[in-house]
Amino acid sequence: MSEAVLAETPVFSVNGLWKVFGPKADRIPADPELTALDPADLRARTGCTAAVRDVSFDVRKGEVFVVMGLSGSGKSTLVRCLTRLIEPTAGTLAIDGEDVRAMDKPRLRELRRHRAAMVFQHFGLLPHRTVLDNVAYGLEIQGLGKAERRARAAEVVAKVGLEGMEQRRPSQLSGGQRQRVGLARALAVDPEVLLFDEPFSALDPLIRRDMQEEVVRLHREEGRTMVFITHDLSEALKLGDRIALMRDGKVVQLGTPEEIVGSPADDYVREFVRDVPREQVLTVRTAMRTPTDGDAVTGPAVAPDATVSEAIEAVARAGEPARVVDEGRCLGVVDADGLLGVVAGTAKEAV
Amino acid sequence: MAAITVFSPRTLPAVLKHRAVHKLGLLALAAAVLVPLANARWTGGAWPDALTVDLTKPLTEASTWIVDNRDTHPLFLYFFGHVSNAIVLAVRAVYLVLLAAGWAGVTALGALVAWRVAGLRLALGTVAAFLTCGWLGMWVPTMQTLALMVVAVAASVVVGALLGLAGGLSDRLNRALRPVLDTMQVLPAYAYLLPVVLVFGMGVPAAVLATVVYAAPPMARLTALGLRGADKEVLEAVRSLGATARQGLLTARIPLARKELLLGLNQTIMMALSMAVIASVIGAGGLGDRVYQALASVDVGAALAAGIPIVLLAVVLDRVTGAAGNGSTSAEPRRTGWLYALVAALAIAVAGRLMGRLDWPDAWTVRIAEPVNRAVDWMTAHLYSGVPVIGGTADWAAHFTTWVLNPLRDGLTWLPWWSVLLLVAALAWLIGTWQTALTAVLVMAAIGVLGVWTPALDTLSQVLAAVAVTLVIGFATGIAAARSDRLERALRPVLDVFQTMPQFVYLIPVVALFGVGRAPAVAAAVVYALPAVVRITTQGLRQVDAAAMESSSSLGATSWQQLRQVQLPLARPALLLAVNQGVVLVLAVVIIGGLVGGGALGYDVVFGLAQGDLATGLVAGAAIVCLGLMLDRVTQPTERRTKKGA
Repeated sequence: MSEAVLAETPVFSVNGLWKVFGPKADRIPADPELTALDPADLRARTGCTAAVRDVSFDVRKGEVFVVMGLSGSGKSTLVRCLTRLIEPTAGTLAIDGEDVRAMDKPRLRELRRHRAAMVFQHFGLLPHRTVLDNVAYGLEIQGLGKAERRARAAEVVAKVGLEGMEQRRPSQLSGGQRQRVGLARALAVDPEVLLFDEPFSALDPLIRRDMQEEVVRLHREEGRTMVFITHDLSEALKLGDRIALMRDGKVVQLGTPEEIVGSPADDYVREFVRDVPREQVLTVRTAMRTPTDGDAVTGPAVAPDATVSEAIEAVARAGEPARVVDEGRCLGVVDADGLLGVVAGTAKEAV
Repeated sequence: MAAITVFSPRTLPAVLKHRAVHKLGLLALAAAVLVPLANARWTGGAWPDALTVDLTKPLTEASTWIVDNRDTHPLFLYFFGHVSNAIVLAVRAVYLVLLAAGWAGVTALGALVAWRVAGLRLALGTVAAFLTCGWLGMWVPTMQTLALMVVAVAASVVVGALLGLAGGLSDRLNRALRPVLDTMQVLPAYAYLLPVVLVFGMGVPAAVLATVVYAAPPMARLTALGLRGADKEVLEAVRSLGATARQGLLTARIPLARKELLLGLNQTIMMALSMAVIASVIGAGGLGDRVYQALASVDVGAALAAGIPIVLLAVVLDRVTGAAGNGSTSAEPRRTGWLYALVAALAIAVAGRLMGRLDWPDAWTVRIAEPVNRAVDWMTAHLYSGVPVIGGTADWAAHFTTWVLNPLRDGLTWLPWWSVLLLVAALAWLIGTWQTALTAVLVMAAIGVLGVWTPALDTLSQVLAAVAVTLVIGFATGIAAARSDRLERALRPVLDVFQTMPQFVYLIPVVALFGVGRAPAVAAAVVYALPAVVRITTQGLRQVDAAAMESSSSLGATSWQQLRQVQLPLARPALLLAVNQGVVLVLAVVIIGGLVGGGALGYDVVFGLAQGDLATGLVAGAAIVCLGLMLDRVTQPTERRTKKGA
């Protein structure tokens, strides 16, 4: 991340956000005695459920920000709070520096129409409309004329690979195709940020992989900011620039995939990432040591953000340690021992 | 784990039993205190006179006042008068249009609409139905009924859709409307007749209004249901795109509720037809009136000639509107198709006019009344009694009356009034909550207070006998149909037709077979209620979780064991629903049976209408409402959706 990107106003800036369901929910976030309770006790004491507890994070422009957690961890509630589909109970929430919670109804509609569009787990398509009219629906809501919105929708339909299916109904499509329609509907309004709520969990594994690649491709081509909710760790690691891991409404760790896998914040996270093939997530930086005089300068060169498994391949092929080279500068050396240590999990947990 | 699975089935019934015993114990305690008190004050088995309120005088006064002031009081002049005139004008206008279109035009229009909506087969069916109506010499009464129906259905749909919209959009209104609509749906059609007659007098306006009141609730219920049942995620997606509430309603919620809306239309039309026929007793005219007049003189042939068009109308209307709910072709080609259809219908109508063939030609009619009556006479002579071994239909009716109906009625009237209340309370409480028990007891007591305790118990005895017969036959058939695909396929068309026929029509064959009296009324009720009971039973048994069935057969259960231990217990909610529906439907027809000698409350209503003695009729109508409520509450298993939910 370059300095310039960091300095920009974050797309979403969330601070101390709470969502409590139940009677007189407002009092919970304000009362330190109640906030200290665990979910079961809180429920017993007040009849309330805190779905999101004191969550803070920034979503930076152009990144894929993944919120990951098991069912009931509050991640879906959290993403709905971002556009106030669910009204947050407490905390601050800003989009491009503008306070979302202070928006009146027309302003909020404006936000939903133009700035943030959402893709849903079960697609949320209108069964009585054709694919084309489903994709054009967001534009129709904005009040665009029929010809114009259909023309724009047709472009997006082509972009997500559904050419030729414009006149079909959702019921005539497969699950993967339906989600492409859902994706196209969100893209058609050309939003600043795309929100995904577990978009692929209802799909078969192979289709899911296709769709993940579709998202990666779209992100590479357009560089649109994305907030992606998932319960699938491998999906989170594959798509996320940064991951917020949630449990019981709280963010337990926020970091890059490498940070999450390489240095879990607590036992819960450690347990979570235990079965992740570490060599495919961690980069050679983890296994790197400073070069000593004895190292040859002949070994193969690898980039610093190459994964450990790529380095293993290079080292095994060359039969000697590889050099980590960034823009012509040698940062360090990885050898077989260091790489093995990462795979075995005996290397120090540090990034 | 094993310990738990063994343990729970044993404790569960114990807990249930315990709860039931608990309720009964409390009830016994209350009875022990109250019964001696009541007995000490009012001795005797019948409802004590001291506890009745005689409404005859105030009701007669009210009705006299209304009759006297109908032409002068501003409420009538400026409100009811306009309503009444508007209805008369509308019905008249539709009737004239139908006559102007001529039989060819009407038939063509009906067929083309059926073709566009439901396909070629139903279009042919529609043509056949209309031609049969003409052929039987019933063209004009059919058009009268149709005109009344068109106006009543239009009004019912508007009223129902508006109420449904309100209920679908506002939680509070929904909570207020639901119990009212639910209750209206269980009341017999007869209960609606008298209040409208009181205000509007006999005639078309009263008939149309009674029909609207009877037919609007299903539209309202289903509209609200459809709007509420929309896929939550779709609505969320619509919101997430920034739709306003109005946009969401027009582009998502109403289109998503299409199926329910069309089902509502279908049900409203069927209820309207049923009521439009029954409303002949308050001056609706048309086909129902022909049946009514014919039944009054036990002229089965004439009744059948008017009854067949009713059945045909019902079947055609049901199939066509039902098909509309299932079809979903794309919009563009449809519109041009409609245009062609309309033009073709117009052309045929004009052609018919030019040829001077507006009225159905007399030469083309067949008088079936006489041959039918001859057949009935033959049946009376040969089948009524004295058939070797099996006896005769009249013998059966007589035996049923002496061995079942009479003992039941005498038993009920012999029971002290408080014990009847106690029984009602116990039944309602066992199956529902203390609130349902309280409601049931109060409405039952209200019957006594109204002073019609004895006729109400007479009606109740007929209902109980009919329900018992219905349930025995219905459950047996339903179980058999659930176990045999072939039987189910064979039964389906029969049930379909029977379920679409208006209640009134059932009286015709039973009069032909059994003559008049209480037994025919019971028989009509059984035949009317049976299809619903069979259908619900079959569906309930078939919908039992396949995994549960599979696991039991994998354990080597015989099919009898499977039925007894898996299907019946799991289908319990459906079976209870079948009982509830059976009771409600039976009551509706038993009341109408007053027309064919069923006596009791139904007769009081007819008598009140015929003699202009509105007080008697109204009291009987109120008692019918009470009886309907009581029976519904006693048979309605209430997993009362808790206060916060739904």
